[in-house]
Amino acid sequence: MRDMTLGQYYPADSFTHKLDPRVKLLLVIAFIVMVFLVKNLIAYSAIILCVVIGTLVSRIPLIKVLKSIKGIIFLVLFTAVLNLIFHKGETVLWSWWRITISVEGIFFSLKMALRLILLVAGTTLLTYTTTPTGLTDGMESLMYPLKLIKVPTHDIAVIMSIALRFIPILSEEVDKIMMAQKARGASFDTGGIVKRAKALLPVLIPLFVSAFRRADELALALDARCYNATPNRTRYQVMKLSYRDVIAVLGTAVFLVSVIALNMNFWGAYVPPENLWWLFS
Amino acid sequence: MQIKVEDLSYVYSPKTPFEKVALDGVSFTVNEGDTIGIIGSTGSGKSTLCQHFNALIRISHGKIYVGDKDLTARKLDLLALRKEIGMLFQFPEYQLFDDTVAKDVEFGPKNFGYGKEEAARLAEEALVMVGMNYAEVKNKSPFELSGGEKRRAAIAGVIASKPSVLVLDEPTAGLDPIGKREILELVNDLKKSFLKTVIMISHNMDEIAANCNRVIVLHNGKLLYDTTPEQLFSDPEAIAATDLGYPHSVHIKRLLAERGIELDTPALDADSLLAALKRRYSL
Repeated sequence: MRDMTLGQYYPADSFTHKLDPRVKLLLVIAFIVMVFLVKNLIAYSAIILCVVIGTLVSRIPLIKVLKSIKGIIFLVLFTAVLNLIFHKGETVLWSWWRITISVEGIFFSLKMALRLILLVAGTTLLTYTTTPTGLTDGMESLMYPLKLIKVPTHDIAVIMSIALRFIPILSEEVDKIMMAQKARGASFDTGGIVKRAKALLPVLIPLFVSAFRRADELALALDARCYNATPNRTRYQVMKLSYRDVIAVLGTAVFLVSVIALNMNFWGAYVPPENLWWLFS
Repeated sequence: MQIKVEDLSYVYSPKTPFEKVALDGVSFTVNEGDTIGIIGSTGSGKSTLCQHFNALIRISHGKIYVGDKDLTARKLDLLALRKEIGMLFQFPEYQLFDDTVAKDVEFGPKNFGYGKEEAARLAEEALVMVGMNYAEVKNKSPFELSGGEKRRAAIAGVIASKPSVLVLDEPTAGLDPIGKREILELVNDLKKSFLKTVIMISHNMDEIAANCNRVIVLHNGKLLYDTTPEQLFSDPEAIAATDLGYPHSVHIKRLLAERGIELDTPALDADSLLAALKRRYSL
């Protein structure tokens, strides 16, 4: 449980860590759009470059990024296989019943797999470089238009930050309870699926009990400190834009434009040589 | 059964920014019959050390032998080891889960391979031992019990399988004074029956001084002292170096000594302090 990577902050002193969380959120949205825009492999290379540069300037060890990909490897393989056998292409290599494997299918499934991997690798950079508080503050700030139509954006942000804060607490709790039950002879990694699921009951029940207890205590603590007594709360950390944010936005914009340009083959200005067609299809 | 710890080290989250050295080259031996107190300030590695004894944490550096079992061995019979070494965690009442108290206490014995009837018998014995009314609580939900009762039920769940070594991580934390005394009395009673060795983590020096025949002092993951309570609490330097403090009775003895009243006792508990005072004034 301790090795949970998804959504875990990785402390470091880097360019990306210092960016305004709001800017990072917007850039990630731009990145996601970019990933869904790409059509051909040459444009993919631009996104791969974008992720590599992002990782390097964030000073996140490569192994951490690979670990985040490990979590979705099953999903990637699953969709790749499905795309491979059901994609209808023209240059059929092998076919049986409804299954056809074609050259186009191979490229298509490869691209879809790459798309998923890049999506995760790029977006985990956000959670690696932004503290949960930064994330929720940024989201609250970006939700400002909703506040004008009376959506309780601040409460939503607080709920999100509490939820994020509870992930490590509960995972530590799971560790403790598992240890205690193991000390009483429980075993969590033997037997079939039903036996293993049953073995988790002695962990889940105390976990729920303690989660409710903690929620009650937290509610009391919030009340005791007069949470929500005043409508306009000030902040301890005020978000400010700096020159870094401008650089990051410009950098991402360059990638976005180049992805579009490569997608459209420089608006038809560049005709790829015959033997390189696969890069541009 | 002897427990031998040799050059044990442990690091949490190695090679990450969260890296933390919890144990650093710790060696000592627990002899059969010992009641050992493990003391040290928060974060000194006490819990990490204790979680090694029954292989809840697998050894990454160093060696531990429990009897003739080598805990670094690849093929280790974990079930047999954990039956032998019972472990009571901090706030054990938060680990209760079953729908009745009796079933919850039977959980351990059943896991350790006892049959249904045997497990039920062991559960009854354990619940009686911890001073609960078996007939009354056996069909109750553990969540209906009071705080002190929950702790007793949880202890019963650990001792039901009759371990010969019991590791207790702050067994009295969060209890009222009577509850504290009852738990310690229970441990002493258990030592007169099946229990042979007790390893106890505590922040309460009174408890350590009155109940343990040996103390191990950890500081930042290193073993600083392996000695008797008598030796430790008569060494002001040791106490100052580890910011532990004295048991109340020793503290009073020291205050009297400052005023020129020397007593012929280590004063590890109130009774011996009182006896020494009576002797001095021939009461």
